Amino acid sequence: MEKREKQNPWKRLMAIRGMGQVITVAIGLLLLCIVFSMLSSSFYSERNVGNLLRQIAPILIIGIGQAYVLITGNIDLSIGSVVGMSCMISATLMTNGVPTPAALLITLVVCLFVGVLNGVLVAKWKVPPFIATLGTMTVARGVAQIVNNNYNTNAIGDKAQWFRDLFYYGNFLGLYNTIWIALVLFLVFNFLLGKTRTGRHIYAVGSNKEAAKLSGVNTDATTIIVYVVSSLCACVVGLITCAIAGMGTMDSGNMYEMYAVAAAAIGGISTFGGEGLLVGTVVGASIWGVLQNGLQFVGAPVAIRNIVIGIIVIVSVLLDVIIRSNRPRKKLKTESAAVAGDKVH
Amino acid sequence: MGDYIVEMSHISKSFPGVKALDDVSFRLEAGEVMALLGENGAGKSTLMKVLSGVYTKDEGEIKLFGRTVEDLNPKRAQELGVSIIHQELNLCRHLTVAENIFLGREKVGAGRALKEKEMNREAADILKRLNIEIDPETLVGNLAVSKQQMVEIAKALSTNAKVLIMDEPTSALTASEIDDLFKIIRMLKSQGCGIIYISHRLEELQHIVDKVTIMRDGKYITSMNFKDTTLSEIISNMVGREIKEKFPHVLCNVGKKIFEVRNLNAGHMVRNVNFELREGEIVGIAGLMGAGRTETTRAIFGVDPKESGEILVDGREVTIRRPMDAIRAGIMLAPEDRRKDGLCVKLSVRNNISLPNLDLICNRFGVIDRRKENALTDKAVKDLAIRLASADVNAGTLSGGNQQKVVVAKWLARNSRVVIFDEPTRGIDVAAKVEIYNLMNQLKQQGIGVLFVSSEMPEIMGISDRILVMCDGKITGEFAAKGATQDLILECATKFESKVKQQEAV
Repeated sequence: MEKREKQNPWKRLMAIRGMGQVITVAIGLLLLCIVFSMLSSSFYSERNVGNLLRQIAPILIIGIGQAYVLITGNIDLSIGSVVGMSCMISATLMTNGVPTPAALLITLVVCLFVGVLNGVLVAKWKVPPFIATLGTMTVARGVAQIVNNNYNTNAIGDKAQWFRDLFYYGNFLGLYNTIWIALVLFLVFNFLLGKTRTGRHIYAVGSNKEAAKLSGVNTDATTIIVYVVSSLCACVVGLITCAIAGMGTMDSGNMYEMYAVAAAAIGGISTFGGEGLLVGTVVGASIWGVLQNGLQFVGAPVAIRNIVIGIIVIVSVLLDVIIRSNRPRKKLKTESAAVAGDKVH
Repeated sequence: MGDYIVEMSHISKSFPGVKALDDVSFRLEAGEVMALLGENGAGKSTLMKVLSGVYTKDEGEIKLFGRTVEDLNPKRAQELGVSIIHQELNLCRHLTVAENIFLGREKVGAGRALKEKEMNREAADILKRLNIEIDPETLVGNLAVSKQQMVEIAKALSTNAKVLIMDEPTSALTASEIDDLFKIIRMLKSQGCGIIYISHRLEELQHIVDKVTIMRDGKYITSMNFKDTTLSEIISNMVGREIKEKFPHVLCNVGKKIFEVRNLNAGHMVRNVNFELREGEIVGIAGLMGAGRTETTRAIFGVDPKESGEILVDGREVTIRRPMDAIRAGIMLAPEDRRKDGLCVKLSVRNNISLPNLDLICNRFGVIDRRKENALTDKAVKDLAIRLASADVNAGTLSGGNQQKVVVAKWLARNSRVVIFDEPTRGIDVAAKVEIYNLMNQLKQQGIGVLFVSSEMPEIMGISDRILVMCDGKITGEFAAKGATQDLILECATKFESKVKQQEAV
């Protein structure tokens, strides 16, 4: 115990499982930033950095939700549609004279219901997560379209200006509120995942559901919790999109579930479950945002941006796979160390 | 006996930082069954992987059928007649037996269409030659594990293997299935195949083995004719020290009743099960594979739903609907298949041990107290003498014996009344087995009830104070350990209800 305290901070950091990959990806992020700042002098302007962070924030938030689900070995495809639903429901209510706080509350309840539904479908009724959330994805998009009779909403108006400021335009201590929201959500959910019983259960379910169950973990409840977290995050992002545009758009959040998977996967969350650190998702979402923003700055068309980002997703996960496939040697080493220990005894 | 068909001389193989094989020599004659023995991590698997081309050797020479072979790879090894049957079955559950046998070597006709009929016929031939009664068109997933193993053997032989490596082939088989396997081995032997047989179950060697080769810590120790040696000599060569008692037995005064199961029913594998457990005794449950023993433990622990029955701990009835209820009532279960049910292999040893004990180390907001967690896990690691570099390594990287200890450690960190072990020594080496036995004895001495399921008869008879026998979901016999013999137990274990009679009655 004493010894552990004395180790230098770097070693202690690297001792955290999964930190190695996060740091590798973080170095990649750093390189990207250097490249873009050399290509464009205004990349580092104060205004762009603020905007960049504000672009990253929503991706980070949905990335957190998806990371939770992925760590349990499941997937949530409904995220993007829940973003759209959250955006449309809140805007429709506000334009129809419902007081803003009430509108937000109703939106939250509906979104969380989707999360509970996903969790119950997957955990209790054993629907494969890909199919279950594919279904709710389609339904939620339908709800987003139907709430305002298949039209985008009108502007949510002056009464809701405080809501727009709160979620997007305002700032606090020099940082946009959106960034604060992402930061607070990250800190809360990082704490939940890393330091609490619920978090430990999430990892255990993802690593070996049967063993977790036999250890007294309520695996159904754990699965439901991660889906609720995921839809909560999507709900918040939906509100942010609503605040940005000042109106509800039916196709908002389109493809966000995939962005969320990308952010989590780049950051080292294993899609097989049981592994990954939430801080990796911060790096993953940042790489995503920096690429979008930086490629835009250097004048790359949207098509090129998509191609580059797609390649980055594959390469970053491929790197991880390559690193992992070399692990058996390491395994042998620890085993023989144990055997060597045997001899001493 | 024939010529040497395998000659490996002075083989060395290093992985970064560790010498896995150090100047190992190994020879096998045609028509010979050679047992390759050693503790976990002794290098047996590495040696066999070199022989089957999975690993390339660093130094040394391999001769197959008298010819020096360089550049061995898995495909080439197979072409030369070396086949390996791994401990874990490598079959596609959703394909048929014939499809599995011909996997990767499918026969195709005109237009690249599969010749299904021909393959089915050939598969049937191969199975027939081995006296295995399986329809080649059944799905592998529908077969019992033992039959799957036979398919695995048929697959290996369909490539005309002359050297067959079997890694722990009996660990999932029942006594009668093992007999079938031995018949096949004897037949292959008479056809001139050389068989390398890796097993921790030393008792079964006498039935088939001609020679033994023993390895320890990556080194060749010795080779002997099986009939010129004794089990204790083999064991002492394996571990490098004498193990005095293979089954250490401690006598305790049997005290009051601490655990009772009354009329437990859960599915058709658990029918009307009644038994009790007293302070200071170890009760073993014997039976054949599929007798309902594991199902009974799972039903008690609340993993699978119960239809009826009462469970009493210290005379008080407890309601167990979920594993958490059982844990609260002081009942622990170390499950059968450690990689499937016992461990989260991607998590650290520390996290595995603390998983069922999180309620003890969390504050009321559910936040884990790291100091308490470290104290709890460090103590468990020390108590069980689990050998590891650090409690933060992945549980999956440990050797079988140490993994099993981690599974046990999970449960011993908290106060318990009843500990249920399901096949606690499967696939672990002799020394680790003895440590597990000692641990069970320790629990017994502390007045904790120990219930233990095992398919290894000598183990059941050596460790238990009382033996229950199950067959077909029912308890069919009970013996005091002293009065039990293998024959008596086996008789009870095969007391199937005569299905013919029932039909007559109808």
